[in-house]
Amino acid sequence: MALSLTYKAATSVPVEIEGLTPDAIRAQPLGDIERFTIFHGNEKLPLAEMFDVSGDASDGRIDMHGDLSGVHWIGAHMQTGEIRVHGNAGRHVGSEMRGGRIDVDGDASDWVGGEMRGGAIHVRGRAGHLIGAAYRGSARGMRGGVILINGDVGNEIGHTMRRGMIAVGGNAGDMTAFNMIAGSVLIFGQCGIRPGAGMRRGTVGLFGNPRTELLPSFRFACRTRPQVLPLMFRRLRAWGFEVPETLDGEQFDLFNGDLVAIGRGEVIRRHASDN
Amino acid sequence: MADSLLKIAGGTIYDPANGVSGQVADLWVSGGRIVAPPTDPEVRPSRVIDASGLVVMPGGIDMHCHIAGPKVNIARKMRPEEKRRDEVIPRTTVTHSGTMGSVPSTFATGYKYAGLGYTTAFDAAIPPLAARHAHEEFDDTPCLDKGFYLLMGNNHYVMRSIQENEPQKLDTFIAWLLSSAKGFAPKLVNPGGVEVWKTRQGGNVHGLDDLVDYFEVTPRQIIAQVAQSAGRLNLPHPVHIHCNNLGMPGNWTTTLETMKALEGHRGHLTHIQFHSYGGGEGDENTFNSKVTELAEYVNTHENITIDVGQVLFGETTSMTGDGPLGYFLSNVYGGKWFSGDTEMESGCGITPIKYKNKSLVHGLQWAIGLEWYLQVEDPWRVVMSTDHPNGGSFLAYPQIVRFLMDRTYRQDVLKTCHPRIRDRSSLADLDREYTLEEIAIITRAGPARILGLKNKGHLGVGADADITIYTPHENKETMFELPRMVFKSGNLIVEQGEMREAPMGRTLHVQPNYDNELEKDIQEWFESYYSIRYRNYPVSESYMHEPEVVPSN
Repeated sequence: MALSLTYKAATSVPVEIEGLTPDAIRAQPLGDIERFTIFHGNEKLPLAEMFDVSGDASDGRIDMHGDLSGVHWIGAHMQTGEIRVHGNAGRHVGSEMRGGRIDVDGDASDWVGGEMRGGAIHVRGRAGHLIGAAYRGSARGMRGGVILINGDVGNEIGHTMRRGMIAVGGNAGDMTAFNMIAGSVLIFGQCGIRPGAGMRRGTVGLFGNPRTELLPSFRFACRTRPQVLPLMFRRLRAWGFEVPETLDGEQFDLFNGDLVAIGRGEVIRRHASDN
Repeated sequence: MADSLLKIAGGTIYDPANGVSGQVADLWVSGGRIVAPPTDPEVRPSRVIDASGLVVMPGGIDMHCHIAGPKVNIARKMRPEEKRRDEVIPRTTVTHSGTMGSVPSTFATGYKYAGLGYTTAFDAAIPPLAARHAHEEFDDTPCLDKGFYLLMGNNHYVMRSIQENEPQKLDTFIAWLLSSAKGFAPKLVNPGGVEVWKTRQGGNVHGLDDLVDYFEVTPRQIIAQVAQSAGRLNLPHPVHIHCNNLGMPGNWTTTLETMKALEGHRGHLTHIQFHSYGGGEGDENTFNSKVTELAEYVNTHENITIDVGQVLFGETTSMTGDGPLGYFLSNVYGGKWFSGDTEMESGCGITPIKYKNKSLVHGLQWAIGLEWYLQVEDPWRVVMSTDHPNGGSFLAYPQIVRFLMDRTYRQDVLKTCHPRIRDRSSLADLDREYTLEEIAIITRAGPARILGLKNKGHLGVGADADITIYTPHENKETMFELPRMVFKSGNLIVEQGEMREAPMGRTLHVQPNYDNELEKDIQEWFESYYSIRYRNYPVSESYMHEPEVVPSN
């Protein structure tokens, strides 16, 4: 039986539950978990002030209920185990996580998987800006793991990412994979302006329709059907992420860039387009 | 509390300036100063600290660090990633909160210095135009008496006066600048080189006799003339020199020429570790130590003093008034880079760097720093510094003490470094170990004497009651990283790592006299070129916290 946390507070002040991860509380009795220190703005509170706590944590699973869009750092730094959010989640879901998985049934806010090292995050709804990104000033963003977002996302996703994969079922905002060092970002909806700006290595897949203009610092290489795409699509489907069947037979244009950086990155853009 | 009388009883005192080395004695403190023991046996101290079995020294003095001004602030803003990862300083009833990283926030800087038993610190590179900013930051840097050196080595008026051979104008300008900015000493940073960098792409000077564009003066002339001028002005700390060619293989000859250019006048060569390299120009494969040669010159020339600029392994942030150096380092490390150009005055370069013990170059830099401490015979002329944060944090001082007092530890660390360091430096052959008295000299008494601070660095009657009490320990790092007690102006500010009080401390500056007639020439020049008005330039007393004018020699 999983640990069940039901959010009962109604506050417009941010609530931060950093450190409340399945691995950290696994061996703790319910009473200790209820006293776990969380922040309400700059005020420290025990967890039980804002959540009804029941069940037990020994199997490494946490179920969270209610609208947690004002609750931040869910699953940050987690190493193993499972968190399921039956509703919306706030900012920094799975920030710097190294393993385990987080499922969000609703929407998540900005910084999903910020600087994550490993594990998986699957958001069924939409998500905000800077997914898998480097925190301000850092040399590297996401360094491993998988982030799947079924809906739309905001700007600068995969900012300075180094390894791992981000897949977005809906539309993405501007500056996707900005400054990317390596890794993969796949956008199945439309994409905003300047995808891949400043990318050094790595792969950006742009599969939406109509297609996105690339910066002039990307050079067309060839029209192709990359062998890797069917493999990636098969894996994504196995993870429960929907990939349109129509893509399987499509042709793609391959571009190299960003030539203002070292230009070893690739953008794979769907060839067919309505524009 | 004017008539309160504190007695620190039975401590083992190290006060090298007064010839006291490990004698057990009492100290009496009143009104923030050391006083003579009361002659009347009826007079009782209002508080007695039992220091028996403990080591008592004057408060530490860091004569070369970067703790205020625009470069420090830019470095703080440049590295949020460090601050996010690092320790947070929580607020207490007596202290403000703060952040660490290689460039701690203002308040944290003061607390951490005090926590190590340091009570005085000098920022080494302030552009005069930013002096007001530096004073305001000092106002938020507690526990320390502070001062700063003013960048002059690439100042247009300085170079023009030298070009036109007008020493009176130079004297007037230096005196006027120090008085206006409320600075402590003239600082030369890569004299002439920064100006060339500012006017020419990738420009710099490469030797003491290169000409500076438009001014037709050489670094040698700048060094000699400013040193002579400072001598005529009787400044307590005449000139603080960051030589040309910092960090470049083969730069030791430039350093030697700089020493000679002083022509017997007093001069302090700072972070000399970075200036003691042999090897072919730009060729890291031939990089080696030339400390022995340079130390021999220092040992035989009493006009020269140095501080080391010890490198320690780890990540830090380089910040310098040496613009071309900042550019060079940012290319080496490939990180973020800031470059600044301060009008007629100076430049600036900032970039994150990392020293690795497995790197031959970095390991040699570490070894060369230690060689300097061990090869200068007179401890009064060598000062402990890391050029915080350039070589490492001031928080590493206790570790350096251990390197100097414990040769086994030193050799053990050497073994973890790149093997070729043994062939390229003499560190492996140096057996010297510092005594506690010598440590007291290079961290307190020496810098006080070099800076001309008569009330600091000693425990004689009339000295400022800045006192650090250590618990002796076999491991000297343990001993020096956690003082038992620290007193600032007679007030107990730190007890076993706990802050008890956080007074702001004083601002130390000089106020030399100058010729009011010649000031008109400065005004005319100033109004023609500067972005601000002449009358708005001087820093008024209202910006300063407890200013104290340090008199000329």
